[in-house]
Amino acid sequence: MSLDSLFSRRLLFVVGKGGVGKTTVASALALEVARRGARTLLVEVDGVGRAAQLFGVPLRPAGELAPVAPSLFLMNVEGSAALAEYLMMTVPVKRVLQGVLNSRIYQYFVAAAPGLKELMTIGKIWFEADRSDEATGRRAWDFVIVDSPATGHSLQYLSMPQAAFDTFTTGLVHREASRIVELLQDPDRTGIVLVATAEEMPVNETLEMNRRLRRDLRLPPALLVVNRVHQPSVRASDADALAGALTRGGAPRSEAERVFLGDVLRAAREESGWIAINSRYLEKLRAGVSLPTVVLPFLFSEEFGLAQIRQLSGLLVATPAPGGNRKPRRKGAS
Amino acid sequence: MSRGLARVVDEHRVIVSAGSGGVGKTTTAATIGLYGAQRGRRAVVLTIDPARRLADALGIGEIRGGEESRVEGDFAGSLTVMMLDQKSAWDALVRRHAPSAEVRDRVLGNRFYQHLSETFAGSQEYMALEQLCELHAGGRFDLIVVDTPPTRHALDFLEAPRRLADFLDRQVIKWFVKPYFAAGWSAMQVMNRTARFLLQRLEDATGISVLVEVSDFFNSMSGLFDGFQERVQRTYQLLQAKETAFVLVASPEEQVLSEAEYFCRKMGELRMPLRAVVFNRAHFECGAELTRADGERLVRGLVEAAEAERLLANFERYEVLAGGDAVRMEDFRSRLPRRVVTAEVPNFDSDLHDIDGLRRMHPFLFP
Repeated sequence: MSLDSLFSRRLLFVVGKGGVGKTTVASALALEVARRGARTLLVEVDGVGRAAQLFGVPLRPAGELAPVAPSLFLMNVEGSAALAEYLMMTVPVKRVLQGVLNSRIYQYFVAAAPGLKELMTIGKIWFEADRSDEATGRRAWDFVIVDSPATGHSLQYLSMPQAAFDTFTTGLVHREASRIVELLQDPDRTGIVLVATAEEMPVNETLEMNRRLRRDLRLPPALLVVNRVHQPSVRASDADALAGALTRGGAPRSEAERVFLGDVLRAAREESGWIAINSRYLEKLRAGVSLPTVVLPFLFSEEFGLAQIRQLSGLLVATPAPGGNRKPRRKGAS
Repeated sequence: MSRGLARVVDEHRVIVSAGSGGVGKTTTAATIGLYGAQRGRRAVVLTIDPARRLADALGIGEIRGGEESRVEGDFAGSLTVMMLDQKSAWDALVRRHAPSAEVRDRVLGNRFYQHLSETFAGSQEYMALEQLCELHAGGRFDLIVVDTPPTRHALDFLEAPRRLADFLDRQVIKWFVKPYFAAGWSAMQVMNRTARFLLQRLEDATGISVLVEVSDFFNSMSGLFDGFQERVQRTYQLLQAKETAFVLVASPEEQVLSEAEYFCRKMGELRMPLRAVVFNRAHFECGAELTRADGERLVRGLVEAAEAERLLANFERYEVLAGGDAVRMEDFRSRLPRRVVTAEVPNFDSDLHDIDGLRRMHPFLFP
């Protein structure tokens, strides 16, 4: 099964274009691993609280943990807050430090320094992924799943540790950056989950992202999730048959009948149109991205909330690896 | 006498198309511009989204950031599309204000400047506003449609320029033109040793001499940021003006609508003129007064059994979607101020990134 190679890792970044359902997929993955008993941290980066809203908990200040389900915690990670936390840990004189943190020149510096916030964001994520529980000595989290910002910004922060590593050849920054880079580039521990919908713009952006991840960032894409795919059901020929029957006339119809038939036809056209678009772009994605692929169906539900996420979460693991894909690196138990 | 969104567009000179990412802002902005041109106005659509197919569809081919192109068509007025690229907009600003070619090149190569112009949060939004003010003052166009940058949160467009203005505040810049800043942290007597050490270490972490670069940038460009606050203030005044109307674009999904609601509330607080809401990609319930059994019998009488089953099952699924959309749209509408007009655009059977898409959207925005 395709997902076992994914679940053998412990740091997953969920990336994709805005609006394709990154939060949905990250939450569904997190629910699934937590359900299996893994202590899981779901991270929102510079979040506006989408995941919090989904789980029905208030948005906490950056860096604070919110329990959202059994063995599942949510945290919002933000660069400036992560930097302050880092300084608090490394600088002995807290009183002086507080003064610095509150000073305008410090705040200005944090805003003005290129890449600093991105570096601290990824540093904080690394810290959480690597942290040991003081009481037990075990790693604090079995899984850290990151709901990343939209594509461009993800690339920016994912590339920061390498940039810091390349800039410094010795010293503290070099050592810390090299440990982060080592974790990020290790396909046994880290995986990038690409999320797309099977439409023109998201597909193009995903293909580009996949190229850049492999070539420029040397990060390991692990899984492609295609979200909101309209599954074959009603056919264009069904709509044509109905349209044909309507134009042939027959018995005179009431206004209500005409409206009803018009709407049945409209729904059929809309659905068969999306089925065709999705199948065309799914083909294109599969041709361009050689990764285990999970296709999540479009859900015809009245609302989209936790119940729907749970449904998708179940489907994530139920989907067998489609043929033609690269073999999973590890054999699963089932 | 026009009604609804048509009237809003007819009566305003500046239309801002706002909303969270991926809801159809660009398509809406283009459709509004097209409508204006058809009504005899000299319209311009200022867009940032790299929706190439939209450019192709409008017959303007490959236009690059910072360029504009006239759309050919049988309009009473005219339609121009302008692509905004924040990097080239900043570069243009520097070129305009740099005292010499040498200073210009030094600034363009400055790492702090590159950070500011490419990635600083708010600089894209600020540049869109700067461009809007320039177009507004220029008088070449009598309808300016602004397609707001693709932010994650709709509100970023309103707040980001103010953040940038705070960042480039004259009081702050004054520090940086003092000589000791140019020498870096070690020369700063105003801070104690721990703070100096700390900041030095932070600076090491980022790999550039932030202080030196920032200082050099402001020294080179002294004058450029004089009155920056006032300029941002003026752009906000234009957004609040009577001649400006905001059109909020949203899809009837929970998360999009909850962001849209927050946006509406915030607009009220900022005294920004929200005039219209466009619900895009909506599904509509079938209003036919017909029992379901009668309807099903009707369909079965027209097509083969297997076809009828698929058609009816699909219809039921769409009714479920439509039911949810209807509740959410109604709820949202009931909380809007009364003078805000709404328009509903159905979810079509194709993605709207071409001229055909604009044509299909048109009758729903301007019935």
